[in-house]
Amino acid sequence: MNQAVISCLHANLPAVEAVLKDIELQGITNITCLGDLVGYGPQPNEVIELIKEKKIATCQGCWDEDVVDGLDACDCSYPSQIAERRGHFAHQWTTEKLTKENKDFLANLPYSIRKDKCLFVHGSPNSQHEYLLPDMDAFAALERVENAKAEILFCGHTHQPYIRELANGSIAVKVKNSGSKDIQKKEMNLPMRRIVNAGSVGEPRHGGTKATYVVYNDITDDVKIREVEYDIELTCKAIINAGLPPIFAWRLKNGFEFAERAEDASHVCER
Amino acid sequence: MIERWALISGLKGDLDTYELIQKDLKKTPGNITLFVLGDMIGPEKNCNKLLHRLINPKSNDLQPWCIYGWWEEQILLESGYRGNQRAEALRINKGEEVVKSLINAVDKSFLDWIAALQFGFVELDCGLIHGSSKDVGDDLTLDTPPLTLLDRLTRLQVNRLFTARSTQQFHLELTEGILNSEVHDLTGNHKKEQKVPQKAVIGVGAGKNYTLYDVGTDNTQFVRAGYQSEKKKNGFGLHF
Repeated sequence: MNQAVISCLHANLPAVEAVLKDIELQGITNITCLGDLVGYGPQPNEVIELIKEKKIATCQGCWDEDVVDGLDACDCSYPSQIAERRGHFAHQWTTEKLTKENKDFLANLPYSIRKDKCLFVHGSPNSQHEYLLPDMDAFAALERVENAKAEILFCGHTHQPYIRELANGSIAVKVKNSGSKDIQKKEMNLPMRRIVNAGSVGEPRHGGTKATYVVYNDITDDVKIREVEYDIELTCKAIINAGLPPIFAWRLKNGFEFAERAEDASHVCER
Repeated sequence: MIERWALISGLKGDLDTYELIQKDLKKTPGNITLFVLGDMIGPEKNCNKLLHRLINPKSNDLQPWCIYGWWEEQILLESGYRGNQRAEALRINKGEEVVKSLINAVDKSFLDWIAALQFGFVELDCGLIHGSSKDVGDDLTLDTPPLTLLDRLTRLQVNRLFTARSTQQFHLELTEGILNSEVHDLTGNHKKEQKVPQKAVIGVGAGKNYTLYDVGTDNTQFVRAGYQSEKKKNGFGLHF
């Protein structure tokens, strides 16, 4: 059965509506959202209310968490001071616009959702702020899935959709302890695991302007990345009219690949 | 001259053991640097004399380079050095009495010194940490999955990780391995084969059990204070 996984909606209502329409056209009713309903975009309340109305299972993203708990991520979240200032402005703007009910909704979202062999998180099983980039160390990537006791890890946060298969792995070790004279050798095979990044509905950063999400078939294990066109002009105008930094609109309009993310993908915020 | 590191941990206020180790190290050949990987304090005995000695070494002592360990973290938590957090994990696992004993075992005048200690050292291509790069309480042992060990090494970008939390002495070397990674994205398929780099995790022991590391040869030796080097006596020095 097909299920859709969406992430990083970022208060971009036209993009969310277009993606939900695309999902509906495929006859898919099982949808999971990996968080970041708000932040950067101009329609935070509208997007939350749509997710609530559609009863979409959602886990908490880093923006959702920060809007509720206050900005307590360390400055690794941004690649530059100017990006950090823009991010903080958007944070403040979003906090002011959100209704109490919607803040409560974000506050009560779970960190992760588990369905059989699949685990759904925003960033990584360690943190909503950790980036699992497609080129991160393969063993570290496998460790994230394996330690989470999942076979397929669905994540977002990077805004770059991808499917990563980690297979045919093995590790050999030599061990020695103080109680033994012998050196033991062990070799173990590593399990095949997958990481699926759903990309971003509301703020794509894969080099294109289309919203992205993934469709997963839980019978065949097949995963497809979907790209969906939406009315970008509408969102851009709303960003400008809301008084948010114009670069947010420019980024959407141009499919800016630049990702506002930490240099060190393995870094986990000490909170 | 041979450069050696002596890695000790888990003294928990035991000045006698510390003096025994200092005595041992004076007889050990080479240019020795002494690292104390945390747990200088504990709830069992008064720790003030040991802390005073670590802060004010005797003229013939090897200078100790200290980092904080799990017990130091607990006292800092309980003493309000970590914001509103308290040592709840300790309280739940060991009870209120142990929390009180820990507080009573360390004079408040030492807390600022403890709070100023570093989480770990990175020397050459080695990480020296009480637990791991993930957490001061991370308990790495021989039974920890190699993937987890690799992750802890990768986070710190080191080839050797010296850890003390488990109190065990061990040397686990990741010798070889492979993992195929295939990424499918909107630009196509990208295949990559990654090999396990030669890295090792070394448990340094605790109390009288400590570790000598020859920087030049990468050899690890497990030692018990007050005895001749086990390497010489029993021939089980490690040569990885």
